[in-house]
Amino acid sequence: MWFFILAELLVFGVFFLAYAFARTRNVELFNASQLELDQLSGAINTVLLISSSYFVVRAVDQIRHDRSRSCAYWLIAAMTCGGTFLALKLVEFGAKIEAGISMSTNTFFMFYLGLGFFHFMHVVLGMVILGAVTLKAWKGGYSATSYGGVETGAAYWHMVDLVWIILFPLIYVLH
Amino acid sequence: MMKAATFQWLILLAMTAVAVGLSQASLSDNAILAPVLLTTLVKGRIVIDRFMALQGAIAPWRWIVLGWLVVVVGLIGFAFHMAQT
Amino acid sequence: MKYKSQAVAKPYFIAAIGLFLGQIVFGLIMGLQYVVGDFLFPAIPFNVARMVHTNLLIVWLLFGFMGAAYYLIPEESERELHSPKLALAMFWIFLVAGAATILGYLLVPYASLAKWTGNDLLATMGREFLEQPLPTKIGIVVVALAMLYNLSMTVLRGRKTTINLVMLIGLWGLAIFFLFSFYNPGNLVKDKYYWWWVVHLWVEGVWELIMGAMLAFVLIKVTGVDREVIEKWLYVIIAMALISGLIGTGHHYYWIGAPEYWQWWGSVFSALEPIPFFMMTVFAFNMVNRRRREHPNKAAVLWALGTGVMAFLGAGVWGFLHTLAPVNFYTHGSQITAAHGHMAFYGAYAMVVMTMISYTMPLMRGRAANSRISQVVEMWSFWLMTVAMVFITLFLTAAGILQIWLQRIAAEPMSFMAAQEQVSLFYWMREVSGLIFLVGLVLYIASFFIKGKSEAATA
Repeated sequence: MWFFILAELLVFGVFFLAYAFARTRNVELFNASQLELDQLSGAINTVLLISSSYFVVRAVDQIRHDRSRSCAYWLIAAMTCGGTFLALKLVEFGAKIEAGISMSTNTFFMFYLGLGFFHFMHVVLGMVILGAVTLKAWKGGYSATSYGGVETGAAYWHMVDLVWIILFPLIYVLH
Repeated sequence: MMKAATFQWLILLAMTAVAVGLSQASLSDNAILAPVLLTTLVKGRIVIDRFMALQGAIAPWRWIVLGWLVVVVGLIGFAFHMAQT
Repeated sequence: MKYKSQAVAKPYFIAAIGLFLGQIVFGLIMGLQYVVGDFLFPAIPFNVARMVHTNLLIVWLLFGFMGAAYYLIPEESERELHSPKLALAMFWIFLVAGAATILGYLLVPYASLAKWTGNDLLATMGREFLEQPLPTKIGIVVVALAMLYNLSMTVLRGRKTTINLVMLIGLWGLAIFFLFSFYNPGNLVKDKYYWWWVVHLWVEGVWELIMGAMLAFVLIKVTGVDREVIEKWLYVIIAMALISGLIGTGHHYYWIGAPEYWQWWGSVFSALEPIPFFMMTVFAFNMVNRRRREHPNKAAVLWALGTGVMAFLGAGVWGFLHTLAPVNFYTHGSQITAAHGHMAFYGAYAMVVMTMISYTMPLMRGRAANSRISQVVEMWSFWLMTVAMVFITLFLTAAGILQIWLQRIAAEPMSFMAAQEQVSLFYWMREVSGLIFLVGLVLYIASFFIKGKSEAATA
């Protein structure tokens, strides 16, 4: 799993830098387009992902103490945050599409939509992984001595959070 | 141990607020670059070392991930700085 | 050989090697035509030689994959093949169809061939690598489906391992993506999309699964390393191959009329495509270093290691060389592409098939390994072919760089043919390397007929 996480980080890293350097050639366009973004929605989403990551930390702690049920509860809390993130993101994308903006509009929106969608898919995958872990935890499939699955799922989810922690200031904040 | 995690979570939230606040306050572009990147760096480190619990993990993994963070954030800073001058 | 029915792989492999020889002969004819334009004209024009060269490549690799599948799947599933008779029947159908197609290319003008084979019913001909007449294409589908039925039944009722599942998924993907070749839209952009969905998704997608499975199978056998270790590697390699390869299709969309953002997506994802190939190299060397036994078949081990290295160089390094959009802006469709194509096909797919043949042929002929002398000859052929291919690639790369400079960058760009004239020295050197490759291939074939004293009673 760690190998995948590194590969994912590599891909995102390359895209972030591509954004930063593509911007140097088009600063005005990027700054003007950025003003059209919904920064509030982005900020709420950051809070949601950070919190979900924290809930996942709590879940791992619970299973270390052999408390399967409360591990599952924390995971459900994390997934609720994740689900809200996805819903907000859909609203955000929907508004952009309604405004007639697509990946071909300009380079800024190419990155905003492309990277956003790519990250979106990772949140979806992370939710699937957390869902599977939750289900197994609920059924008592993990214990204080054997909880590798919880840790692996947690690591993936933190990676998704970590990527967003950079993506948010990069695309929504810095100008 | 969980108290520490809660504290870290609150720091992450506070730093997000700081970054958004900075961007809302109509400071010049130059002024927000360094503090926002710094908060990003700190947030990233918290997630990597504490949440992912890589601090104290077998050597290469932690350094690769932390190195990734520093390189990416550093180069972003460089590119934005270049764009201003 | 554990199961009698695995022997159906033998005719497949023999046909593969025969067609390989044909491919090289036509490669040499075409290589000469690069510098002596009217060589063999009008009997074999350049475009026909090229078509035969590339089509034979595809067909012999398919024979190789099928043979490998018929050998590997029963052994991994721990049972006899569902129907050896069906496998043999498909062999003859495929061989006859393949031979008839090649003869059609050689003896009949392409336009007449199209007319006689019903191209006006469903136009599928005329696209590079997919030139086959409609009946041949349908034949390929029938043969592939019959094979998939045969193999899937075997796996379903037998043991399921990572290796046989990856192999099977790869072969299913191969058959499914081939279906795109039946759609030939009039819109040139769409046409290119569908074309790449066959060509790219084959060689940079599902074929990598087939290759990974074959390599893993041979490595388990010759090194004796635990299956769990090898399967873990296989998982990671194919996952990386699929992640980078699928979106990496974008590196073909740069200049065909697709949206501009593909220049970013194609560049970033295809820049990752060398990773799985690099991992295959590390994988092969790692497993051989950790070997638990000294397998008497040294030649097979050499082929397996060679596959790792050459696949990484040809597909990984030479692919990366021109995959980034700003570079590709200058290099697309030049001799750089040809250099990459040669080393990637040889290093990844030709060599993995020869790895498999090298490991299985002695077993199917009733011995663990060939005699020492026969193996020495085989290893000579390995080095001759591989070194010759390295030189072919280097000369084509040099020709490509010069060509791009003269034709696309220089202050006063030359016309295509004028630029070709300037690089002819490299074409001559390439042709000489090609002859050495042929010598290697002949030695390879000879190694099957060298008896020598068998000293492989052990293992």
